[in-house]
Amino acid sequence: MSYWMRVKALFKRKQLDHDLEEELAFHLAMREAKNRERGQGRDEARYAARRQFGNVMRIKEACREAWSFVSLETTWRDLRYGARALARNPGFTAVAVLATALGIGVNTGIFSVMNGVALKLLPVPSAQQIVSVDQIFHGNVRRNVEGEPGLFSYAEYKNYQANNHVFSGLLAYAPFLEATLGGEDPKQLMGAETSCNFFDLLGERPALGRVFVEEDCRAPEASAVVVLSEDLWRTRFGADRLIVGKSVSLNRAKFLVIGVAAAGFHGLDPWPSAFWAPVTMQKALEPQRDVLAEDNTGWLAMLGRMRPGASLEEVRADLGVIAGRIDQQHPGRATTLVIHRATFMGRPEERSIAFGVGAVVLAAVGLVLLIACANVANLLLARASARQKEIVIRLSIGGSRWRIARQLLTESLLVAFLGGTLGSLLAFWSLEGIARYVLTHLPHGAPELIWNVSPDLHVWAYSMALTALTGIVFGLAPALHATRQDLSTAAKGEGVGLMRKAAGGGMLRNTLVGMQVAVCMVLLIGAGLLMRGLYYAQTADPGFEMKGITQARFDLPSQGYNLEKARAFQRDLMARVAALPGVDEVEQARVTPLGHQWEGTGLTLAGETQERGFEFNVVTPGFFAMLGMPIVRGRTFTESETRSDAPVLVVTESTARRLWPGQEAIGKTLRNDEKTQCPVVGVVRDSQASHLGKTDGLFFYTPAGPAAQDRLQLLVHSKGGDAATANGIREAARALDADLIVDVTKLEDNLEAWRTPSRIVAALSGVLGALALLLASIGVHGVVSYGVSQRIREVGIRMALGADGRDVMKLVLRQALRPVVIGAIVGVIGCAAVSQVLSNILYGMGSHDPVAFVGVPLFLLGIAFLASYIPARRAVRVDPVVALRYE
Amino acid sequence: MEKDGDLMQGTLDMLVLKALARGAKHGYGVAEWIHDSSNDVLHVEEGALYPALHRLELKGLLAAEWGTSENNRRAKYYSLTAVGRKKLAEETEYWRRMSGAIARVMQTA
Repeated sequence: MSYWMRVKALFKRKQLDHDLEEELAFHLAMREAKNRERGQGRDEARYAARRQFGNVMRIKEACREAWSFVSLETTWRDLRYGARALARNPGFTAVAVLATALGIGVNTGIFSVMNGVALKLLPVPSAQQIVSVDQIFHGNVRRNVEGEPGLFSYAEYKNYQANNHVFSGLLAYAPFLEATLGGEDPKQLMGAETSCNFFDLLGERPALGRVFVEEDCRAPEASAVVVLSEDLWRTRFGADRLIVGKSVSLNRAKFLVIGVAAAGFHGLDPWPSAFWAPVTMQKALEPQRDVLAEDNTGWLAMLGRMRPGASLEEVRADLGVIAGRIDQQHPGRATTLVIHRATFMGRPEERSIAFGVGAVVLAAVGLVLLIACANVANLLLARASARQKEIVIRLSIGGSRWRIARQLLTESLLVAFLGGTLGSLLAFWSLEGIARYVLTHLPHGAPELIWNVSPDLHVWAYSMALTALTGIVFGLAPALHATRQDLSTAAKGEGVGLMRKAAGGGMLRNTLVGMQVAVCMVLLIGAGLLMRGLYYAQTADPGFEMKGITQARFDLPSQGYNLEKARAFQRDLMARVAALPGVDEVEQARVTPLGHQWEGTGLTLAGETQERGFEFNVVTPGFFAMLGMPIVRGRTFTESETRSDAPVLVVTESTARRLWPGQEAIGKTLRNDEKTQCPVVGVVRDSQASHLGKTDGLFFYTPAGPAAQDRLQLLVHSKGGDAATANGIREAARALDADLIVDVTKLEDNLEAWRTPSRIVAALSGVLGALALLLASIGVHGVVSYGVSQRIREVGIRMALGADGRDVMKLVLRQALRPVVIGAIVGVIGCAAVSQVLSNILYGMGSHDPVAFVGVPLFLLGIAFLASYIPARRAVRVDPVVALRYE
Repeated sequence: MEKDGDLMQGTLDMLVLKALARGAKHGYGVAEWIHDSSNDVLHVEEGALYPALHRLELKGLLAAEWGTSENNRRAKYYSLTAVGRKKLAEETEYWRRMSGAIARVMQTA
């Protein structure tokens, strides 16, 4: 109460003064009137009243003090004093502010990326009411998964929608839908199948036409309507205002455009949706699957809007009851629901990736900030010793230690604030550009991403908190240290350059330097290992030949091809491609090597009951020869096995070793889903065909016969130019089916997609490492040279007493380098731990990297050597008389 | 900043509260009331009175309001709040006990 009134008083100071004035004037007037009553004259009465009243100014001052904050005004005084002190030392201020700005800027930048990717609420009205619902299964789970394991089936969605008591609405949508938009130039789009309350629940109004109504979702395949994104409408349909009512072709099915979504609405995932269709149109959009009617297939993400007043706990409890009821139909299964405020990257799998990566990166930039803090702390320490006399005088005339420490702390907070503001502004300003650059340089085939990194309240709060923390971290130790003085010696100005001194401020400074060296080494070695990991990834031999091979990828089932049509298409396409000039080999495969597609299934070993998980590929007999994968035992498939879809297998070497150690694999059998015994006919050398940098796990190949033709893609080897071959393949495909999207690229391009993530990580860690090295070098240089220059007088005395110049040099150097050496040793130990961890995560990195382990400490030692050698030499050469008179 | 044992300030606060027990008064009125009801023995210094009034207002023991005085001038009137009334009761009780005790001490020969 009293506090609040004082705060109000701060802003009404004038009014308060005026009131006080009037109150006192009234009192005087009354007193004067009374004196008159008693028969005094007019003037006499007034003077008497004044006399009785006493000093008006003093009374006013006393009253005002009751209203003011003493501490606030002292803080203001400290701030002004600090600002003046900083302005007087522009060099110090610039370095300190810059170091802080770098540290805080990098941190703020990384945090706003994380915030934009995974923390921001969805960009829809009243987003705080919207929660995402995901499920995790335990126990005996038999369930089909399309996309991510936490998704729901349509029946489950209907169940939750009908039986919950906490939502004003619950929506569902299929997040991973690709479709070909037909037309002159067919285009592959990301879209979503949604429940028909999708737009209404989110509060999204269309820019044009209407959104879905319940009628659209009444029955399967009843209402072929679509809402286009504003982006698609502008880029593909020339912002045609008459688009509503026209038809578009999606995966060769006709859809009626009923509306265009508002500009800026891209759906609920980081990859933008180009269109939305009713969930009941699933079969029309994806002829190859029919999941709407499958009760035990997860394919829908769910989001609910909470009723006003409902809490997350209530939502969890209410939906948990429904989950329990569903579990009763699946004996032995238990479902946990994961429910939280909806964000991008909100599903559990995405969250664990985003937060895992985020934590590692934040830790790294946190270390950079730590180095920056150590730098500023060192600068402050050096300055505090320069200001020792001032501080000591204040202490000896009775200034309280806390009062002085607070003033020093105010100064460092001021530095932190300046640096923090500068750094944050730089981060915000540069981030948009960096984000745009990264997004436009993603590899071929990577999905388009929306990345809103603009700062919001979270980011500001984070950077302010970090700034305050930084100011206290680097200011506290120097402030406390500076005020812990032995008054008598310090006041006399003694001891400043003598050996004794090295034990006090020197100790703290040296600790800071040692810490900087250690932290910097950990960062640099991390960066070094990552970059060498990248080098390895770029030069890694995936174990097969990619040169001269072109891949043609297309998806026939989604375009309405049945097996028969697909056979005809494949036969004609292969014939046309084989006839192209320069083409000497055409093979088929279900997935192309390193193409970011994986096929998995379970096979059972003879004599076992539990099936084992395999990856597999379906290939033509010449596949192995074309890719240079030697068959080490047995043979590849025969033509007749291929023609008859024979259930024969070729397994990889390591698969054979794991399944039948020490035995001949040829002739062994594996049982598949349909209880067919599949004999192994060949063993092929190991390669990294499915994950770059990782030898494939259990892996088998089966022949690509007539029954497999609908899902095969083409691999073409040519001697001629790749570009000509690629064009030839495209034309051949277009001649057969102009509406089919055929993605023709060099097989080597698949490597790009694998290398980009490690390239981004390596670039980031390289920049951080360079930053750390720069900051640490500044720190080491500053502290070492300062320490030596403080001892010029001591050196002079030693020289005057006849010490040998070389011995003095050695002494000075040894003492200057000691903290760096200790830091380096600690750093090496830390690095060993870090690289152990990193090499477990990232393949291809040795855990002992001589360049990083030896190079970095040597570099920092070199800097420390130079920083101490130059002033030390000057000190030794100085005339002892001059040195003694120094200061 | 409340100090225990500061008899003068504590006592003045108590007297001010008491002065306002029967209704709102302006600062001059408070001073006069104390003066009069002590049979002209207690004279309240203005230099102490006004800071005390403001302090008590800040603590929420008093409420202040601008009104018109008996001679038609604008004046600031103070009155007791509920908290102030409670505080007055406490102070009165405390004072009764203390003064009784001191009186007994002083009377013993």
